[in-house]
Amino acid sequence: MGMDGLMMEARKVSKSFNGKMVLNQMSLTVARGETLVIIGRSGCGKSVFLKHLIGLMQPDSGSIMVDGMDLSALSTRQMNHMRMRFGMVFQGAALFDSMTIGENVGFGLTEHSSLSQAAVRDRAEEALELVGLKGIQDLKPSELSGGMKKRVALARAICMKPEILLYDEPTTGLDPIMSDAINDLIVSLHDRLKVTAVVVTHDMVSAYKVGTRVAMMYHGNIVEIGTPDEIRNTTNPVVRQFITGSASGPITDIQFKSLTTA
Amino acid sequence: MKTTAETIGKTVLDAVKFSGGTFTLFCQTLLAVALPPFRTRQTFEQMVKIGVDSLPIATLTSFFMGVVIALQSAYQMQKVNAEMYIPSLVAISITREIGPVLTGLVVAGRVGASIAAELGSMKVTEQIDALETLAAPPVKYLVAPRFVALFTMLPLLTIYADAIGIFGGYVVSVFKLGLSHALYVRMTFDPLALKDIFSGLFKTVVFAMIICITACYEGMRVEGGAEGVGNATTRAVVTSFVLIIIADAFFTVIFYFLT
Repeated sequence: MGMDGLMMEARKVSKSFNGKMVLNQMSLTVARGETLVIIGRSGCGKSVFLKHLIGLMQPDSGSIMVDGMDLSALSTRQMNHMRMRFGMVFQGAALFDSMTIGENVGFGLTEHSSLSQAAVRDRAEEALELVGLKGIQDLKPSELSGGMKKRVALARAICMKPEILLYDEPTTGLDPIMSDAINDLIVSLHDRLKVTAVVVTHDMVSAYKVGTRVAMMYHGNIVEIGTPDEIRNTTNPVVRQFITGSASGPITDIQFKSLTTA
Repeated sequence: MKTTAETIGKTVLDAVKFSGGTFTLFCQTLLAVALPPFRTRQTFEQMVKIGVDSLPIATLTSFFMGVVIALQSAYQMQKVNAEMYIPSLVAISITREIGPVLTGLVVAGRVGASIAAELGSMKVTEQIDALETLAAPPVKYLVAPRFVALFTMLPLLTIYADAIGIFGGYVVSVFKLGLSHALYVRMTFDPLALKDIFSGLFKTVVFAMIICITACYEGMRVEGGAEGVGNATTRAVVTSFVLIIIADAFFTVIFYFLT
């Protein structure tokens, strides 16, 4: 298992919160080295699914396999070991605001390696350089703009040289130019570091640009998956409505119907 | 519409959930405290924040509490010409009861609120999730240092508060009620047994656990943004207050019958 180019697999994963089904028997595979983009409306459960992949949430039923290992079968120690193979970029950057940028980026190394403080600083600088931010190690997160915070979060995620990167809405809340810079960064990190990546977004520009495959999530499941070109030319009305950003279509019709019948 | 039964059911359910959650957290914390690696730097930072920074408020409250107890008892004692027992009364009620409880409540208000608010904000901004993804378990990284810091600093703060409280009683008795310095000192230390101080300190250790676990538990389960953080902070302080007072009553009864 795990050798045939399969990095992550979700098998019939279901999850509900307070009786509301968010993931409904969702199955999905992520190939080694690809960048899979998951698109879908806000609140459709994309972020919830992403948190399942790194074990921040556990499925009610079904399982998550990473490199051939079932996450729910791992001990705490094994789980922590597994997490070091991951890097995650959170929607709001989630930088530790009690620490400097340098401490944030070097956090994983400080915790889990025997490197000296100076060596950690060097590695942090290296990671910051990759995201185009040099010489800001002594600043605090509160002194940075939104776009810079996201890039620092990215630097923190790659500092441990992970095999898998998870991005939760990496371009949300950024201006178009900064969004494009982040997209370029995701692509170049993918090319340079050969990581497997899963990107959750509702920004179609970003999805087409960074994805090797794009999957559309709807009602707690994947309704369509394909290359960016396949998605662009899809005949599925649900996907069509989403990618063209139209207010009327099957997605909203169902909502209106359920509203009027309720 | 809510029926009475529903309200009772929900209250009981919440209480069970709280007990279960805090007990689990307590066990995880003990484990995290006992096993290396130890977070020396974070623990030290918390000790300063919890202990040293609470000194001014502890000084203020315990000094005036000593003054009040001395004056209040003088009001009664003067009627029977028993002013010389005021120092003993001050010393015993402060070391056994007022010192630990007052310090516990002050720290629950000051430190418990700040812990709940800090962890709550970290939760809503996903910093706690981020810690987990970086393979740094939040209990180890956030709760354990605060637990050790409270566990060591609250008893020390209480000893300090005891001393200041007794000094407050001294100021009133010597400068206002006309007791001599020598009499006050003798009547303070003569009846004061080590067990009075220890029974007080034992309580503070329990209070420290209550404050830390309640605040961390409430902080780490925050949901729903700023409003959630506010609610969690309130719940942390109110719950600690109630639990401290219940625990105090419980141990006062136990110690009363033990001695």
